[in-house]
Amino acid sequence: MAEYLLPDTLAEAGEMMAAHGRSLAIMAGGTSAMRCGTCRGRRGRGIACIECAGPRLVSVPNSAYVMGIQRLGLDRLEADNGVLNIGAGVTMRNLAASDMPAALCQAARRVGGPALRNMATVGGNIFARQPYGTVAAMLLAMDAVPVFTGPDGSREVALAEFYTSGAIAAGLLTHIECPHPQGRLVFVKCARQRFAGPTVITVAVRIELETGGKVAAARIALGGAGETPLRAEAAEQLLIGEKLEAPAIEAAAAAAKAACAPADDPVASAWYRRRMVGVYVARALEQAGEGEAP
Amino acid sequence: MKAKAEMDGIGGGGHAVGQPIKQRELDSHVKGQTLYYEDVKVPRMLHLKIHRSPVAHARILNIDTSKAEQSDGVVAVLTYRDVPATKVWSHFEAIGAAPGAEPILAVDKIRWKGEPIAAVAAETLSQAEDAAAKIKVTYEKLPSVFDVDEALAPGAPELFDCWPGNHYVFPDDHKAAQIRFGDVEKGFAEADHLVEHVYRTRPIEQAPIETAGCVAVPGSDGRYTIYTNSQALSTTRNSAAEIAGLPVARLRLVGGTAGGGFGGKVDMAIEPMALLAAMKSKRPVKYRFTREDEMTVSSTRAAWRVSIKDGVMRDGRITARHVITHQDIGAYLRNSIYGAFKHASHMPGPYTVPNVWADVYCVFTNRTPSAAMRGFGVMPASFAIEMQMDRVAKAIHMDPWQFRLKNAFRNGDMKAHRREVWDAALVETIQAAARLTAKDLPEEYRQMSSAKRPLSAPRIAGG
Amino acid sequence: MTAKRVSLTVNGRGENIAADGLTTLQQVLREALDYNSVKDGCTQGSCGACSVLVDGELRIACLLPAGGLQGAEVTTLEGLNARNSTSVIQQSFVEHSAAQCGFCTSGMIVSAQALLDENPAPSRDEIMEAISGNMCRCTGYLPIVEAVASAARKLAKGDGA
Repeated sequence: MAEYLLPDTLAEAGEMMAAHGRSLAIMAGGTSAMRCGTCRGRRGRGIACIECAGPRLVSVPNSAYVMGIQRLGLDRLEADNGVLNIGAGVTMRNLAASDMPAALCQAARRVGGPALRNMATVGGNIFARQPYGTVAAMLLAMDAVPVFTGPDGSREVALAEFYTSGAIAAGLLTHIECPHPQGRLVFVKCARQRFAGPTVITVAVRIELETGGKVAAARIALGGAGETPLRAEAAEQLLIGEKLEAPAIEAAAAAAKAACAPADDPVASAWYRRRMVGVYVARALEQAGEGEAP
Repeated sequence: MKAKAEMDGIGGGGHAVGQPIKQRELDSHVKGQTLYYEDVKVPRMLHLKIHRSPVAHARILNIDTSKAEQSDGVVAVLTYRDVPATKVWSHFEAIGAAPGAEPILAVDKIRWKGEPIAAVAAETLSQAEDAAAKIKVTYEKLPSVFDVDEALAPGAPELFDCWPGNHYVFPDDHKAAQIRFGDVEKGFAEADHLVEHVYRTRPIEQAPIETAGCVAVPGSDGRYTIYTNSQALSTTRNSAAEIAGLPVARLRLVGGTAGGGFGGKVDMAIEPMALLAAMKSKRPVKYRFTREDEMTVSSTRAAWRVSIKDGVMRDGRITARHVITHQDIGAYLRNSIYGAFKHASHMPGPYTVPNVWADVYCVFTNRTPSAAMRGFGVMPASFAIEMQMDRVAKAIHMDPWQFRLKNAFRNGDMKAHRREVWDAALVETIQAAARLTAKDLPEEYRQMSSAKRPLSAPRIAGG
Repeated sequence: MTAKRVSLTVNGRGENIAADGLTTLQQVLREALDYNSVKDGCTQGSCGACSVLVDGELRIACLLPAGGLQGAEVTTLEGLNARNSTSVIQQSFVEHSAAQCGFCTSGMIVSAQALLDENPAPSRDEIMEAISGNMCRCTGYLPIVEAVASAARKLAKGDGA
């Protein structure tokens, strides 16, 4: 039995978090947390679902308190002064329908079916177990920065660093800030169904080309290819100074494939995921090469 | 007559064939008003959770239910000691699957990961889950086998003392369901080519959207009622009564509406357990597979290994077909022999082959026991046969459509299980498919018919 | 720890229910309020058989914490049965034999209604996307897609108005 808390202000939320510490689980849309919370595999059956497969700082089923964030005004979606500001409570539906960069909207639209997109949030997606975290992979390629609010004020951590340092929340995630992306953005997802297909892997890339068509900056982010969304940095490096043509694309795809560490789960085997990383990184880079600059 | 036909939703004249018939529950389905077993609410209902084995093959040294019995909300805990009479599933003996060897609750041995050991009936499902997790079972682990190759290897661990080598032995002392027709060796000797290959299928979960479940309710008159979504209502009643040691007259089953089944609700995995718990607790008991149970412990379609050897003439006539099939039935027999018989009777497929030899074995492994799923045993037979037909056609450089048309059975042909064909339609079906897909067939093949054979001799082989 | 009381409207009727932190809307609707059209196929948000509308938007009831629904307006298929547009969808399902075992049907029709409320003239792809969170194992999606398309055409012509 957990108690459901519904704070009206950030200050109130902060007090609740301070008072209850790790016995409090934060719930945004609930699509991940409720699934974990109602999972009947938790009681010593030894069968782990995707939600449980990995360390979770707060165990939802065993939490004494569950805190909803829907009254905290975290559903803002703004672009000003060259910075995108995406509230943690923005739903996938609202993100998909927004005037944010097209690839980010596409990523949101590839999450679940319509009912799930009405519930699932950007903030939840940052913490989602792999292979979920489709939008997080796109944000990673966009150099996004999650902003947390804690007792000592707000704290910003680059998403890349957040994931490489264990994905530990520094307070309540209020929003994600993101420089207006330069260059070309591409999002591709490998799934077994066209609509609402669970993720095998996702690939998000951002490519800046200099005049002459050589790559000046590259971001390649992978979803479903490790314990968290991750950057394929070796692959990014291989592209710098190269034209987005077959040899460079193949080399980058091979490097991404070699560096990823996907898991086996009921959706796909690690073996298949790794192969798909190679295929989809190449596809995403080809599309980036063909695309128009935004 | 007409009034009755209309009541049944059948169009005028009482003829159903060729008439669209409105499904009986369609109007209530679309309004969400169809009553499924779970929509029947019974007061004071308990919930059942099974403690299952985490290991695939082991001897049970001890079962300790004391902590579960003291757990919150628990009303009854059952082990094999609470199962009267035979303590095993015996109902499949009616189709020749004897002797019954699958315990309702494990006695001294575990043969698959997920095998039920104890059942807890509690006021809420959470309480039942908590209590079931407190049951302590001590095991002596045994080596296990997970496919037919491992199970049939010399020296492989054996699941049953009574079935050495992990081969099920049919009650007539045969190890296999057999087809013997003509002389395959003679057919192979006559053939221009021999084509041999092994085909395998993997287990599949039926995955109905409504998981298997039931509610067993004790009545004030000493009778019991089970509300269930079983696909096999009357056999379930008989077997549940037999397992519980009740006269059949004291057990009533209410069902007929299932949220999908596909064979997954045929093998009565839940009703006897719920009934025993209702008898012990004297309360209504609900036993429902969670989605996880459905995916991990309910019967699946078996894994099949089908080895086919064909003799074929240069002109495309098949002279002999030799089949050895191993059905990986998992840890217990359930109704697998029915699948084996259906598989055998499907050989050599819808083709006239003068010499046929088939052996279909049921092999025990430490996998989840398998059971029916859509065309029990026939799907792997068709899959293997049609893959083989393509392979043979390729080997003799013949168009696979023409190859099938040439061998398709015709009325008057004798099938391998000695029934004369009288309603053949394969030739016409292939011709129709060719027209629909703009496949060009030579005139000779367009003129073929199930009614007569264009080749010189009628193909009615002796056997 | 106490179960919290939540006041909400279900199918036009005011309800006051008890909910702890992990109580789902599905549990409330099925177990406390006896709305049997809300099915339980997976309890993990995968099958869509418990689809309902919350404030007019499609939701998966088994993933929705009831504790956060103070003041919400919940509509199940029982509530939609009174709507003309729903009866047009239902009639199309009947005409296309778009329900076999019926277990996914409630959720399908709620999803179809949510689609047509928002997009009265959906393309085939939009219909498929709209029901992509609703699994069907026996009917097959083809007759369902046809039924929704036909309902949209009828509603556009004013048949159900």
